[in-house]
Amino acid sequence: MTATTPATEPALDFDRVSIAFGAREILSPISLQVGRGEFVCVIGPSGCGKTTLLRAAAGFVAPSTGAVRRAGGVVSGPTREVAFVFQDYGRALLPWRTVAGNIGLALEAARVPRAERQGRIDEVLQTVGLTAHAGQYPAQLSGGMQQRVQIARCLAQRPEALLMDEPFGALDAMTRQGLQDELLRLVAEQRLTVMFVTHDLEEAIYLGDRVVALRIEPTAARPSVAAVIDVRIPRPRDQLLTREHPEFLRLRRELYQYLGHH
Amino acid sequence: MIGKARAFVFPAVLLGLLETWARTVGKGSDAVAPPSAALWAWAGALADGSLLAATGFTLGSAALGLAIGTLGGVLLGTVLGLVPRAAQAGFLSIEVLRPIPSVALIPLAMLVFGFGLRMELSVVAFATFWPMLVLAQAAARQVEPRLLEVARALQLSPGERFAKIVLPAMVPRLFVALRLGVAIALVVAVTVEIAANPHGMGYTLMIAQQSLDPALMLAWLFWVGAVGYAVNAGALWLQRRVAIRMGEAGLR
Repeated sequence: MTATTPATEPALDFDRVSIAFGAREILSPISLQVGRGEFVCVIGPSGCGKTTLLRAAAGFVAPSTGAVRRAGGVVSGPTREVAFVFQDYGRALLPWRTVAGNIGLALEAARVPRAERQGRIDEVLQTVGLTAHAGQYPAQLSGGMQQRVQIARCLAQRPEALLMDEPFGALDAMTRQGLQDELLRLVAEQRLTVMFVTHDLEEAIYLGDRVVALRIEPTAARPSVAAVIDVRIPRPRDQLLTREHPEFLRLRRELYQYLGHH
Repeated sequence: MIGKARAFVFPAVLLGLLETWARTVGKGSDAVAPPSAALWAWAGALADGSLLAATGFTLGSAALGLAIGTLGGVLLGTVLGLVPRAAQAGFLSIEVLRPIPSVALIPLAMLVFGFGLRMELSVVAFATFWPMLVLAQAAARQVEPRLLEVARALQLSPGERFAKIVLPAMVPRLFVALRLGVAIALVVAVTVEIAANPHGMGYTLMIAQQSLDPALMLAWLFWVGAVGYAVNAGALWLQRRVAIRMGEAGLR
């Protein structure tokens, strides 16, 4: 590895990471750097290992070979400095705790003094626009609101990076677009690094600075990473203008093949 | 309202038929008395205090026995559910002991404790211990895996994970188990009293039968049924309240 200064050190560094479950290789060696403040989207057909890659970044699964590095060390397990947003928000929230209580869990875990908790809960509630629902239970909220609670809990951790596993996949199109814009605003405000897994090509282009396309059943000749593409579409992005941008349409055409369509 | 009233029609007709039969064909029977006579006998038992004393003894020993069985069963079941090695080690012992009918322990319990509260408690506790153990073990194993990942992602300590995630997640299932335990405890308590223990509703029922007083026997029979219904309804209500509070039955 070449020497790097702290300023250019990547937020996440996948160093020849491969993952196999038994004899089945899910991911062939992947080398990829995610820069600080960068928004990287990962796409690919079902079973290509995009969620597994994200879980390796979070430390939920250990790579079979290679390593994920972060903040100068090898990721060996989950840390509060990196927050993970699960797709199934309904199962990731504590049904017996209110919205505020669910967010409070992250603060309790981080040993935030009791006196400071309420202020920080109010702060993230306001950030995600759930102030009016602080006292409600997850089951009383819509899917989109539940996912916002989970994102709020992750923000309460004050993480450096967000790892998001198809977070909007189960939501309807209107809610999804609203949350996409909210996420972009949050990420810009808090200068977060994001790795975002999705099966929605347009979502990946709309959100990302870069899009990584993975392929299914990698071989030595055809490694997991099928393509890494820069998205040079100006920010802030806009649901109408960005999606009509010539570059958006060009990338959509270029990336379409990587989703398993032939 | 009308729907609820309809449910009472069939029992009322049955009681009416029984009344008629007992007053005509079955007059002077040693086995069956008219329900109206049973009601009088019930009022008599209420007046002389035997009703409250016997009901209190049965309910009290059922509740205490259930509490002991639940405490032990939930503690051990939780350990077995969370520690797979403990479950493997305990599997055979549990499967051998569990099928022993609880009433088969009455002779042993009588030898050890003699007649009275402790003997009844021990049998009720034994009878409720096993279902509580098995259900608590299942509850501990069935905690939503995603929540355990949330605990990992937040780096909760093992103690925090248990107190903040595992235990609350188990609570709705534990209350389902408790509702089943309540029914078992009551049945076993009355059985012990009928078979051996000279206290409680089961014993008074036996005495009424042996003294050839069918009206009083019928009164106790109906009363045991009514008490059982009330206790089970209360347990079901509690279980539902807990399920709603803990988000199990949340409506979307």
